[in-house]
Amino acid sequence: MDLMEKLTLLADSAKYDVACTSSGVDRPGGKGLGNAVAAGICHSFAADGRCISLLKVLLSNQCIYNCRYCVNRVSNDVPRAAFTPQELAEITLQFYRRNYIEGLFLSSGVLGSPDHTMELMIRALEILRHQHQFNGYIHAKAIPGASPALVEKLGLLADRMSINIELPSEDSLMRLAPNKTKEAILSPMDQVAKGMVENQRALTLYRHAPRFVPAGQSTQMIIGASPETDYQILRLASSLYRKYSLKRVFFSAYIPTASDTLLPALDTKPPLLREHRLYQADFLMRQYQFQAEEILSKDTPNFNPFLDPKCNWAVNHMDFFPVDVNKAPLEVLLRVPGIGPISARRIITARRSCALTLEGLKRLGVVLKRAQYFITVRGSTGLSPMGRERVVRALVDPKAIQFGMEQLSLFSPAPSIPAIEAGTPLEQALEEAVSCLVSNL
Amino acid sequence: MPGFKLVMEPRDEVYLYDGSLAGFYCCVHTCVYDHAMPTAIQPQEEAQQSLLPSRRIPTNRDQALRVREAIIREVCPRALELCEHVFLSCMEKKELALLQFLRLSFAQGPQIAESYADPLVSPLLKAEKYLLREAHLLCGFIRFADHEGTLLATISPKNFVLPRLAPHFMDRYSQETLLIYDRTHRVVLLCTQSRWELLACETIDLPQYSQEELFYQALWSRFYQTIAIRERENPICRRNLLPMRYWENMVEMRDSLNSPQRLSPAAKGSSSLAHPAPAAIDSGQTP
Repeated sequence: MDLMEKLTLLADSAKYDVACTSSGVDRPGGKGLGNAVAAGICHSFAADGRCISLLKVLLSNQCIYNCRYCVNRVSNDVPRAAFTPQELAEITLQFYRRNYIEGLFLSSGVLGSPDHTMELMIRALEILRHQHQFNGYIHAKAIPGASPALVEKLGLLADRMSINIELPSEDSLMRLAPNKTKEAILSPMDQVAKGMVENQRALTLYRHAPRFVPAGQSTQMIIGASPETDYQILRLASSLYRKYSLKRVFFSAYIPTASDTLLPALDTKPPLLREHRLYQADFLMRQYQFQAEEILSKDTPNFNPFLDPKCNWAVNHMDFFPVDVNKAPLEVLLRVPGIGPISARRIITARRSCALTLEGLKRLGVVLKRAQYFITVRGSTGLSPMGRERVVRALVDPKAIQFGMEQLSLFSPAPSIPAIEAGTPLEQALEEAVSCLVSNL
Repeated sequence: MPGFKLVMEPRDEVYLYDGSLAGFYCCVHTCVYDHAMPTAIQPQEEAQQSLLPSRRIPTNRDQALRVREAIIREVCPRALELCEHVFLSCMEKKELALLQFLRLSFAQGPQIAESYADPLVSPLLKAEKYLLREAHLLCGFIRFADHEGTLLATISPKNFVLPRLAPHFMDRYSQETLLIYDRTHRVVLLCTQSRWELLACETIDLPQYSQEELFYQALWSRFYQTIAIRERENPICRRNLLPMRYWENMVEMRDSLNSPQRLSPAAKGSSSLAHPAPAAIDSGQTP
């Protein structure tokens, strides 16, 4: 099989991996090739709008496991291929020289055994790092079940490591990924987390200590293949951030690749709007100082498709507002719809020299369309008790419309959310949603 | 100390300078000492025909240095950085906007650079952000081609980003020789192991690609097409994140540019169901 065919096969089987980020580590270029920039650099964007930053491939798509949702499962009849470590290193270097990529994202099916697979991955990375002094970014997936010594070795070569948690509960994992156990996934995650803490200590003592996973670790899970609620997923993400100090938790909308009685039907559309809401909630937890319990609760375990989680919180906590932009502290400003982390910090800096006006806020980058109802500026406020309907109308998420009716019908109906029948015209559906949301306030 | 207000009377005059940063600082110097606020400041080459009298401001290195140091001393280093960034940006009438900014900043002192809400400062911060953003994007979107060991690339940015790109690529490809041609500003950036320089350059003739180069371009294009998930296709999202004006210089995007979906207005007018558009025939696609 020639290189072109191999790359096609192995990129095609790697495309469902979500993270393609190249952030988290600054490394100046030395004698060799390449450097790393903490902010990360996107090199291209694929037709699905996802960033391409790294050469995302599998070392091999042969796999002894039979995870039911996976294209590479052993029972699936697809062509198989594997790179030799030399081939992979050569492609990476050639792409990197031409500035096509920021580095390598290496994952693999389980080739023979977890340990054997990891050894091959390590060999490929060693060729890059030691033979060619490659200083670019490397993201490596640890294979669940591999020995701790190999995880350690991989961590010293890679910038970021990730171990996929795959599904949002142990129950679903047992049903859909019978060869993987919670234990086999969480123990390397724990090892990496502890290793990073230890490495920090070593680095303060010896400046030249080898760096272990300097860009941190991440994980991903599939959304929509199993019955968990959004609340369960969010709680899980929040506890992962806490316990293993992950950099990111990624969500991937399930795309049916196999017909299986345990999985959604083949013609099910991927729940893209739901995935979008989960990421919004994830950002609220990481950058807006929200707790998972504030975003969703036992009583409302699923997202509102029409309002983003922050607006949803705001319309349900009208007593918290209005906020005086010239006085409120950062964490309070961050709660206002239309004010993000950047504009909140700018507000705090800019109001030192003079009191802010509405025009000033606009110049700062505040989205007044949403924010005007929740703030007071020099004593005057836009929020009036009569105008609730207007508020909700202004807050309804245009994304809900862009994603289309199909996506709205994928949300499970809840008492506060109108059930939308497929085939309802969009404007009418939105009108119904607005009036229903208003009456619930 | 901050707090002195420069007196500048409006004057019906256009200042012409040589287009360099030092030349601009000399205009500032002249304005301060003549107590004059001109109607416009323009580079000589791009000067518009105008009814107003124009005045050539000669570039003097000492004057420029004095202005530069005065900004650092009387305002703050950040204000100088902002000036130099905005000067590289594609903001319209940036020279006059900068002059007004400097007059204000001598009066107000260091806090000026953080007055995000000020009507004079905010457009400058936006122009700076645009420059920095475009430079950051191009750090990723530039595509080099290997010509006998030298890496060549072409870009067509709106802002003058080459001085921002040079340190990044020097660090990244420390063992290589690079050449980046900015088609908009007609300037070439040449980087060798130890130094970089900018050279004016009207046109550039690129040699033919080698077999090896063509192979890696094809390999990369194939990777690009394979990595997208068809069920999630989202052309609007892609266009927002990767604006179409960058496509012409990117190996993997050339096919998308020539695809039948994007016809020239003329082709669109003449195409009908019976006569497929010329682009579709040229690409030799079979159903």
